[in-house]
Amino acid sequence: MQEIKVWDLLVRLLHWSLVAAVLGAWLTRDGEDPRHLQLGYIALAVVAMRVAWGFIGSRHARFADFVRSPRATITYLQEVITRREPRHIGHNPLGGWMIVMLLATVAAICVTGWLYTTDAYWGVAWVGELHEGLTDVLIVLVMLHVLGVVFTSIRQRENLVKAMLTGKKAPEVAAKANERVHASGG
Amino acid sequence: MRSIAIAAVGSLVLLMSGAAGATGLATCNAGPQSGWQDQDAVTKHLVVKAGWKEVRRMKPDGGCWEVYGINENGRQAEAYFHPVTLQHILTTQR
Repeated sequence: MQEIKVWDLLVRLLHWSLVAAVLGAWLTRDGEDPRHLQLGYIALAVVAMRVAWGFIGSRHARFADFVRSPRATITYLQEVITRREPRHIGHNPLGGWMIVMLLATVAAICVTGWLYTTDAYWGVAWVGELHEGLTDVLIVLVMLHVLGVVFTSIRQRENLVKAMLTGKKAPEVAAKANERVHASGG
Repeated sequence: MRSIAIAAVGSLVLLMSGAAGATGLATCNAGPQSGWQDQDAVTKHLVVKAGWKEVRRMKPDGGCWEVYGINENGRQAEAYFHPVTLQHILTTQR
């Protein structure tokens, strides 16, 4: 079976860089570890690059490829529940919104964290609490993201973690029994 | 695939369980919080006696009062104080 290229190099590089930066920032969260700030700046830069790449990147890297309307997303969710969901060679609608929320949340954590380092906002309770609260939100999102990846991998019988490493997935014609291919080619 | 899921969720739960607890940066063993000096008393002590410019935030950590503010050097400081004796335990400033 000939696999096809889905995730370009930058998508994969930015994905795993963000994983590393967020994990590193989490591990250095207490006290005055200067690496925490550096990792925050790196994470923000990664998010900025991913957002830019979402407009100018390869086909499946673009937001236009995977951000669907709320209606289409709810339809997809209903299809998942009734086990009728189509396979998406790029991100499925739920995964697409997860990406938007993850990027937005990481960006908000970085900005509030940076704000906390300024003289004006250092030690201001709401800034610190917002930074930490958003981190809790991110943890929940990451758990849902990982669960979604594992769930979809099992449902579609395709290792999506590996796909994010190699960039390759099985072609759309390699269908399993209940697969329907979207008219949009999604 | 299932074992990956269990490992992923397990490690995340483990990470989260550490989130609410003490940071381990300082420990005071000052007994229950009912016996502590209140935030106003700590603020007054720091501003009047210790020369802090501003006290901005205070929360319990490791049985100590963890205080954020601008310290006597005019620097952004995070400092730990014994909540009964107000003895200074530790400061990180930048």
